[in-house]
Amino acid sequence: MTATVAAPAASAPARRRKAHSGALSIWWVLPAVLFLIVFYVFPIVQNGYRGFYPEFAGAGLEFNLRAYAKLLGDSFYLGVIVDTFWLSALVTLICLVLGYPVAYFLVRYSGRWSGVIIFLLIAPLLTSIIMRTYGWRVLLARRGLINNPLLDQLGLIDAPLRLVNTQGSAVVGLVHVLVPFMVLAVASVLQGIDTRLEESARILGANRWQTFLRVTLPLSLDGIGTGAIMVFMIANGSFVTLLLIGGDSFRTLPLLIYQQFNTTRDFGFAAAMGNLLLLSAVGCLYLQLRLIRRRGVKG
Amino acid sequence: MLQADAAAARTSVDLRLEEVSKNFGSVAALRPSSLAVEAGLLVSLLGPSGCGKTTTLRLIAGFEAPDTGRVVIGGQDVGDLPPNRRRLGMVFQNYSLFPHMTVGENVAFGLKIAGTGRDEAHRRVRSILELVRLPGFEDRFAHQLSGGQQQRVALARSLVTNPSVLLLDEPLGALDKNLRESMQFELRRIQQSLGITTILVTHDQEEALTMSDRVAVMNHGSILQYGTPTEVYDHPRTRFVSEFLGTSNLFRGRAARGPDGAGIRVEVPRDGAPPVVLRVARNGAAPKPGEPALVAIRPEKMRLTRTAPPALGRELDGLTAKVIDSVFRGTYHAYQLALPGRGDPLFVYQQTIDADGQGVFPTGSDVHVTWSPDNVVALADDGDAA
Repeated sequence: MTATVAAPAASAPARRRKAHSGALSIWWVLPAVLFLIVFYVFPIVQNGYRGFYPEFAGAGLEFNLRAYAKLLGDSFYLGVIVDTFWLSALVTLICLVLGYPVAYFLVRYSGRWSGVIIFLLIAPLLTSIIMRTYGWRVLLARRGLINNPLLDQLGLIDAPLRLVNTQGSAVVGLVHVLVPFMVLAVASVLQGIDTRLEESARILGANRWQTFLRVTLPLSLDGIGTGAIMVFMIANGSFVTLLLIGGDSFRTLPLLIYQQFNTTRDFGFAAAMGNLLLLSAVGCLYLQLRLIRRRGVKG
Repeated sequence: MLQADAAAARTSVDLRLEEVSKNFGSVAALRPSSLAVEAGLLVSLLGPSGCGKTTTLRLIAGFEAPDTGRVVIGGQDVGDLPPNRRRLGMVFQNYSLFPHMTVGENVAFGLKIAGTGRDEAHRRVRSILELVRLPGFEDRFAHQLSGGQQQRVALARSLVTNPSVLLLDEPLGALDKNLRESMQFELRRIQQSLGITTILVTHDQEEALTMSDRVAVMNHGSILQYGTPTEVYDHPRTRFVSEFLGTSNLFRGRAARGPDGAGIRVEVPRDGAPPVVLRVARNGAAPKPGEPALVAIRPEKMRLTRTAPPALGRELDGLTAKVIDSVFRGTYHAYQLALPGRGDPLFVYQQTIDADGQGVFPTGSDVHVTWSPDNVVALADDGDAA
């Protein structure tokens, strides 16, 4: 509600400023525009192009849909697509279930510790994803920090559990990497919910759970939507984590693209898969825009 | 018809705070305080921000737990009850309407939680919206309403469940002046028609005086005085109460017995002028002879005349002073008077066209200031200007 009210007020002075600074100002954005064109627009255009003009042995460069036919026609590759989205959806759901309570605690109860908690959330993001994933390898290894106590101290198992290179380890690794996005997205929306709304519900007879379900949760749907879309999108494209601790438990599009480049060298097919991922990301962004605009109008 | 319905459904309950206190860390938000509110009255908790009035309200609501003491509503100690089981209604300053619900859904919220049937809920929502004069607003959203309308919806939402006590936390604070005044009457009308015991938190003394059956004046976490608006206004017990509820002319002096040995008078020494002598007729907290004393007279209880009135020295006390400033305030003039040997000016409010045609006193003119000893109030000095 606040955002929609603030937006027009903020944009009016911004418009005025633009008018004042004159035509010269567009030159200031030139380096950024060039950078974007060279490193983002051009690769995307080229990739899009390559998906429709794949090179085949003996065939010249001409428009064809073979790469897409292969991707969408072959049950193996369809399975990969389903796997990719299924894994992302699962990770998103787990991030939501784990992240929402953290965000709620952060906003409502942490008080002066909120800074520390936010730091703890963000700090891992500043560490290399490869290092973090190798951390999981250490934890989950055959003689790692989980297997060892179970084997030696507790004696609960006879042989080391196979923990790494499983679907479980892949999901754990991804959730670990992505849960901060969910927490931050939800927390920023929860922050904007006036606690007096919750108090109003309480005084009207709602217990804590009813208050949460009928007031807090509906009002935080924006944050859930934003967080879920963000996590889903990043999970869709992530492959370092899967490569390092997923083994071949999940076959996803990014892993397959990696394979095309390094082993099969079928760039056209890789490009087609890349375009499919890009399309899903665009779809997610569109969803997010729609979601937020609709909420904004409602107030 | 609705009002009869609602009044029949509710039996007004009383509310008691018994030695309730609350600290936040090392800050005493509310010192041990007691308050007994009779059933059906509207009681204001009046004081500046940080005086503990909102804490008191939140203790009653159950959002805070008292460190000591008991909150008793309708004879029941509600200490162990969470807010949702105290059967209260509450309106916040920012209305706190649920932004994701329509007006109808907002108002029906409490009924839905209580498991009221659809038809019954519809009927009650419709009639309560009529009571707050917003019939047919069910399908709008809060952000489509004006501040005053949102206020009415919030009120309807809090009343529809037939709460035993209504809590109002600065409910009119966000409205502009004209709307606030009309809402004061509106709120009062609704409160009286339902006969619901109501606690109103406000920092606006006019609002408290206009709307309330009783006023509890608070400062620094204590209830300084509790009484009817007239009582607390006319007979403030402390300097803070006197100055917070309007303007007061304070005189600091020493108490003495009257010449005939009866009554108390306060002699206020002046530099280079004879002392001002004020007889104190009302002596709730009468100073003892020989002790320092603080007395106050309200500006509108003093009269200005060109010549000394005949009753001076008998029914009236008085002095002479010079007009140094006057401000026209519509129905009356606010005069500032300089008194020889006194630093602070005297304030006198007098009807612009007085009953006996005194007219307006120009700046610089010498005037007689007179007052009745009945209007001289002895104050305990809590050393706290509002």
